[in-house]
Amino acid sequence: MKLLSIAARAKVVTRRYPFEPPVVTEGFRGKIEVDPKLCWGCGVCTRICPPNALTLKQREDGTLVLSYFMGRCIFCGMCAEVCPRGAITVTKEFELASLTMEDLTRDVKHDVVRCRICGRVIGPAVEIKEATKSVGGEEAKYYDLCPECRKLVVARGIMTKVGVRP
Amino acid sequence: MGEQSKYLPECPGMDEVTRKLTEEYGGRVIFSREAEVYVEVPRHALKDVAKYLYSSGAFLKTCAAVDERSLNHSFAVYHIFGMDSKGYDVIVKVSAPENNAWVPSIVNVVPAADWCELEARDMVGIELRGRRLVRRLVLPEDWPEHLHPLRKDVPHNFRPPSVKAESEFRPAERGIPIGPYHPVLHEPEYFELLVEGETVVDVYYRGFHVHRGIEKLGESPRFTYQKIPFLAERICGICGFVHSTCAIMAMEKAAGIMPPERAEYIRTIVLELERIHSHLLWVGVAAHVLGYDAGFMHTWRVREPVMILSELITGSRKTYGLNLVGGVRRDIDKDKMEKITKTLDRLEKEFKELANLLVSVPQIRNRAQGTGVLSRSEARALSVVGPVARASGLYRDVRKDYPYLAYREASFKVPLYTEGDNLARVLVRVEEVFESISIIRQLLDKLPGGPIMNEECSSIMPVDEMIPPGRYAVAAVEAPRGEDVHFLMTGEGRPYRWRVRAPTYQNIPALRPMLRGDPLADAPLTIASIDPCFSCTDRALVVDVRTGRARTIKLWDGGVGTCRL
Repeated sequence: MKLLSIAARAKVVTRRYPFEPPVVTEGFRGKIEVDPKLCWGCGVCTRICPPNALTLKQREDGTLVLSYFMGRCIFCGMCAEVCPRGAITVTKEFELASLTMEDLTRDVKHDVVRCRICGRVIGPAVEIKEATKSVGGEEAKYYDLCPECRKLVVARGIMTKVGVRP
Repeated sequence: MGEQSKYLPECPGMDEVTRKLTEEYGGRVIFSREAEVYVEVPRHALKDVAKYLYSSGAFLKTCAAVDERSLNHSFAVYHIFGMDSKGYDVIVKVSAPENNAWVPSIVNVVPAADWCELEARDMVGIELRGRRLVRRLVLPEDWPEHLHPLRKDVPHNFRPPSVKAESEFRPAERGIPIGPYHPVLHEPEYFELLVEGETVVDVYYRGFHVHRGIEKLGESPRFTYQKIPFLAERICGICGFVHSTCAIMAMEKAAGIMPPERAEYIRTIVLELERIHSHLLWVGVAAHVLGYDAGFMHTWRVREPVMILSELITGSRKTYGLNLVGGVRRDIDKDKMEKITKTLDRLEKEFKELANLLVSVPQIRNRAQGTGVLSRSEARALSVVGPVARASGLYRDVRKDYPYLAYREASFKVPLYTEGDNLARVLVRVEEVFESISIIRQLLDKLPGGPIMNEECSSIMPVDEMIPPGRYAVAAVEAPRGEDVHFLMTGEGRPYRWRVRAPTYQNIPALRPMLRGDPLADAPLTIASIDPCFSCTDRALVVDVRTGRARTIKLWDGGVGTCRL
């Protein structure tokens, strides 16, 4: 009987979700969004991601793809904390139900730079371009060489300079 | 602590124990730090050592079996004894050469060692001599013989073919099954109750159905130290923060990393918030089990603001993702402090009214009083933990016995009842809610300033290199259900061995004395009264039940293995 008076005071507390918006506090972390304009494809986020929801893969056409699969995401937001470019934002979105798997994946495509000698992929184009800018000078000339070929080219250059036949 | 001396001897000091173990039993100190000493004893002396420690007032926390073949060509078992009244741990190691892998069992001396010994046998393949064996405790029936998943040569993602299940020891009489899926117990576990008329005369239990292989995963290349808090949090859906804090405390201990004071306070506050919501959840479920659904709904209504508060502070209702090695990720600012205070004030008022009402409802009182009794001596023998221990007159609380984080800074009472029945377990939890509210208030008042993250750890990557290999650590945290223990042996960039002992693991064996002699109708309440968490208990398995169709448990054709409790 006493419970009735408690119930009368409490009234209805349930909400008509999903016909009403859910209660989400300002502290809530939901899914993430990657800004393709800011992302360099460095892949730091893929190394910190506990459930491997973020992966960096190379496609056959040579492009590098940062893939975000929401089905695995645990909404921890660690990626946003470590992203050196501030390209990842944590949203308040958590209603991800969908009929197709594709809806749960977001890809950010990056062109790659290939080594001009051996053709091996060195890394994502934007990252290398920006890195080259900040390095500048003599070293910038070697931006499109893989570490192996760079060693050879530099060594050859030095040998020519000192007059030894490579 | 004086409470315990009435029925338990006062534990000797760490120096005395170390001296005794080395001089009289031929032990060798491997390593020691404040409140922890690791002693390796010869195999033949283990039983005597266990007898000595147990008779001087120690509780067995758990044991951890480790495959150390890659380090020293042997297997090892670490028995972790907690000297509650002096607040330190004695870790007794016994090794067995790889070609002669047996260790003596201590279960006849320390009954609490039963499960962890069987687990050592199942998961690492160490033979235990001198004890009654059941075919399997942890591994499923169709798991191949001689394949021990926690051995280092078994890859973490290995899926063995299913073999024909052998029939296992089971009672000749047929009992009343409860589970593996049961409307009252929300996780899969299986009890078979043998009855005479209406009275339960014996209990058989088969658990470990929620197989996720978390320990093995934590040791696998998939994980590194900084990711483990997130994995540990997923051991349990209710006390996840306890597990992540406990794992982190072990890692910080091993590496000598000191989290800033403010971070310790924040962790403590969140731990207490978690206790509040867990106890409220349980009180609701208890009412539900008794068929008092209105009480259940109102308890959960009162609980909801705590969940919303947790989300505000941490970013998520559960699996907070707040903890990192070296500190916490989010601060509690003025605005949040105000909201916490406001929510707690309201909760205290509402829950007081509701709790008084619930325990005075005659239908609840009559069902709970005098049922599911666990005596103090049985509680002591099984080393039960948490509210179950405190309802049976055992004064045990990690927060008091081994003060960690900011618990030294708060004054609080540990509710103690001696009846050992279901009502006592309800009352312990109800009182603990109010104590937790008071702890949070005190800590918010004292919250020190400063950073929330250790500077050396603030960059993410180096943490994995800050924890050197070859170190040991044991950490314990008082979860809502009792003492949670994590044992850590560090490796290169990730744990070499990570053993998790959840509170329910220690409490389930106590169900047998609780259920025997009681009417069948009280069994669901008694089972629920230990607040069982099966996903915590079962954390160590490697088989994914969903993929092995042949592993479906058949209840009625004798395919299920039961383990005598």
